[in-house]
Amino acid sequence: MDLAWSATDSAFRDEVRAFLQEKLTPELRLAGRLMTSVYADHDASMEWQQILHERGWAAPAWPVEYGGCDWSLTQHYIFSRESTLAGAPSLSPMGIRMVAHAIIKFGTDAQKDFFLPRILTGEVFFCQGYSEPEAGSDLAALSMAAVDDGDDLVCTGSKIWTTHAGEANWMFGLVRTSRSAKKQQGITFVLIDMTSPGIQIRPLVMTSGEKIQNQVFFDEVRVPKAGVLGQIDDGWTVAKYLLEFERGGGAASPALQAMAEEIAAVSAKAPAPGGGRLSDDPAFARKLADARIRTEVLEILEYRVLAAVAEGKNPGAASSMLKVLATELSQSLTELAMEAAGPRGRVYQPHATWPGGPVSDFEPPPDGYVSGDAWQAVAPLRYFNDRAGSIYAGSNEIQRNILAKAVLGL
Amino acid sequence: MDFNLSNEQELLRDGLGRFLSTRYDLEKSRVAAKTGAGWQPDIWRGFADELGILGAALPEDVGGIGGGPVEVMVIADALGHALVVEPYVDTVVVAGGLLRRAGGPAATALLEKVVAGTAIVALAAAEPGSGEQWQDVSTLADRDGDEWVLSGSKIVAMSAPLATHLLITARTSGGLSLFLVETDSATSGIETHNYRTVDDRRAADLVFDGLRLPADARLGQDGQAWPSLTQARDEGAAAICSEAVGCMRKVLADTVEYCKQRQQFGQPIGSFQVLQHRMVDMYMELEQAVAAVYLAVLNLEAEPNARARAVSAAKATVGRAARFIGQQAVQLHGGMGMTEELAIGHYFKRLTALQFEFGSTDYHVARYTELTKA
Repeated sequence: MDLAWSATDSAFRDEVRAFLQEKLTPELRLAGRLMTSVYADHDASMEWQQILHERGWAAPAWPVEYGGCDWSLTQHYIFSRESTLAGAPSLSPMGIRMVAHAIIKFGTDAQKDFFLPRILTGEVFFCQGYSEPEAGSDLAALSMAAVDDGDDLVCTGSKIWTTHAGEANWMFGLVRTSRSAKKQQGITFVLIDMTSPGIQIRPLVMTSGEKIQNQVFFDEVRVPKAGVLGQIDDGWTVAKYLLEFERGGGAASPALQAMAEEIAAVSAKAPAPGGGRLSDDPAFARKLADARIRTEVLEILEYRVLAAVAEGKNPGAASSMLKVLATELSQSLTELAMEAAGPRGRVYQPHATWPGGPVSDFEPPPDGYVSGDAWQAVAPLRYFNDRAGSIYAGSNEIQRNILAKAVLGL
Repeated sequence: MDFNLSNEQELLRDGLGRFLSTRYDLEKSRVAAKTGAGWQPDIWRGFADELGILGAALPEDVGGIGGGPVEVMVIADALGHALVVEPYVDTVVVAGGLLRRAGGPAATALLEKVVAGTAIVALAAAEPGSGEQWQDVSTLADRDGDEWVLSGSKIVAMSAPLATHLLITARTSGGLSLFLVETDSATSGIETHNYRTVDDRRAADLVFDGLRLPADARLGQDGQAWPSLTQARDEGAAAICSEAVGCMRKVLADTVEYCKQRQQFGQPIGSFQVLQHRMVDMYMELEQAVAAVYLAVLNLEAEPNARARAVSAAKATVGRAARFIGQQAVQLHGGMGMTEELAIGHYFKRLTALQFEFGSTDYHVARYTELTKA
């Protein structure tokens, strides 16, 4: 047992650094650094995915036969950490990190052959259709109807919190194919072509002003049965498998570490509330140290879970724990960034940031004026958007329920 | 000991509450804030003419009613409950206090206009290097014959884009001083960058490069502005503590109502114990914030150290409550709490911004620590 890197790991880190140094253009770095949420600007994200794909690194966690990388666990971690620290824009999690794993496990050969290569190139861009207005935490209560009609399922209903629905050309979603006593039964996992007739998208304006989330309406949309993943009426099995990837599929600690390091760097220059430098302010310094300690510990915790996954074990309820810890730590860090930003953290200036979607009701100043530094413009938007962390992918209350039941047997 | 409002104060509260519930539409006010003028001048006219609240806490000799901190508390609470963006605290409480204590013909004439609703006054105090220390002023006011010449810069001057007059802190050879500028007349030597804040107010960064002002632009005694400035800041802090309480009342009521209505797992989510306890914690934070407002308001006219200690205790308490209640209200509303579609998202942003206004939570804890050292 040890934490030291082998010579191979160190060489790999140098290789990744050299790649990032060469391929991450200043513009892409900005798109990564100035992200206001977990979602990068769509175009920047796809451009970066293309560059990674050319190197064979777009989906390192996939099995090698489908285009993944034969990396050790440490190498996966190194890649994720170096990319984040270099300011690479994040890739959309929906395709590569989520539905692809379900397609690999449950898909037909035809589905694998069609989707997996296209997900890698970005030709197919997925959004997620799980939540409905009346089925959020209680996801199994979903009611979007899918009526059997020959070779098709005819879908009517609506999905909500669909990230980047407007940019996506495919959706993976859950529909109700039959009603039985147990609501988890009768759900089917479908892959829906977003260009099908009968689909309407309504963007939702978030508190940050960004339009990334959407409500999607389906009016008798025909989905060929060839688009069913797994068995009809047994979609819950697929969804549960996938949810564990959504909650614990990747390591959050590199991004949290990058956030903490940025706060440490800016606090050495920012004024403290009581005078002097913020980094010398004992109250602030303690809060930052506490967050960094939690980050270091989370890193080891994530590492242990990933090690178990690498041995072929299912992350199981541990993914719920990682989701709670990582999102709440991230929220602490966004609070600290707001505190570091001082009076300027209150200025609304999305033009100095790189949001994940268009911003409504905002005209940038004609001369492009920015009050303070870009990180101060990012701070409030990230703080607002990051409130989603404890809500999405199963609220943290739901995760604690899962842990109480699955781990503690309560 | 008496925590009851007088009959007049109850009338003030009820009249303003009625006015806001019938005339102040949340959506309309956001449109004005985002894509319109930044505020609704007709609402301000209503405050001046129909309600008379602009003079409620100002002296009778400038046309006011002669009330005090309790009147401000009642008004700010109601404004917070309706999420009013119009600059009551900036103009009436902060600038009003500074003008009143400065005295002199210019200040008195301007106060009359404030009461009448025809002048909006904003304070420019914070600077790029000052952080929250308003006494750390680098802006200089040099005497040149009959004029003052100002150079320096100010950041996040709240309500400055709406203002007819600015109050600017600057350092003369005598020390920290206060200057009054009519915005229309200052056409050269001042560079203004107006913007919106995250809580849908307007503010500006200002750069003075040889801004020339007449000799009588300096208000009060030369070099003696700090005691009045720190008092104004405490009065502003106490007012927004009360505003925060109004916001939090609304947010808690909306959250409880939502949790009674919203069904998941075949029952209202408000029936889950973990959410019940969360809402009880929100309630207890709110009650402490209410008590903290009394602590501040009833000490606002005490000697400076007692006043500062009480205000810091209140602002720190309200800052903590605003953070917890705002965050949990969003959490319990789920995704909908993160949108602009429900009131909750707008209130959350105000509850976030006010934690940093007139001294952040950490600033006030630090000041309280200093004031209570043995």
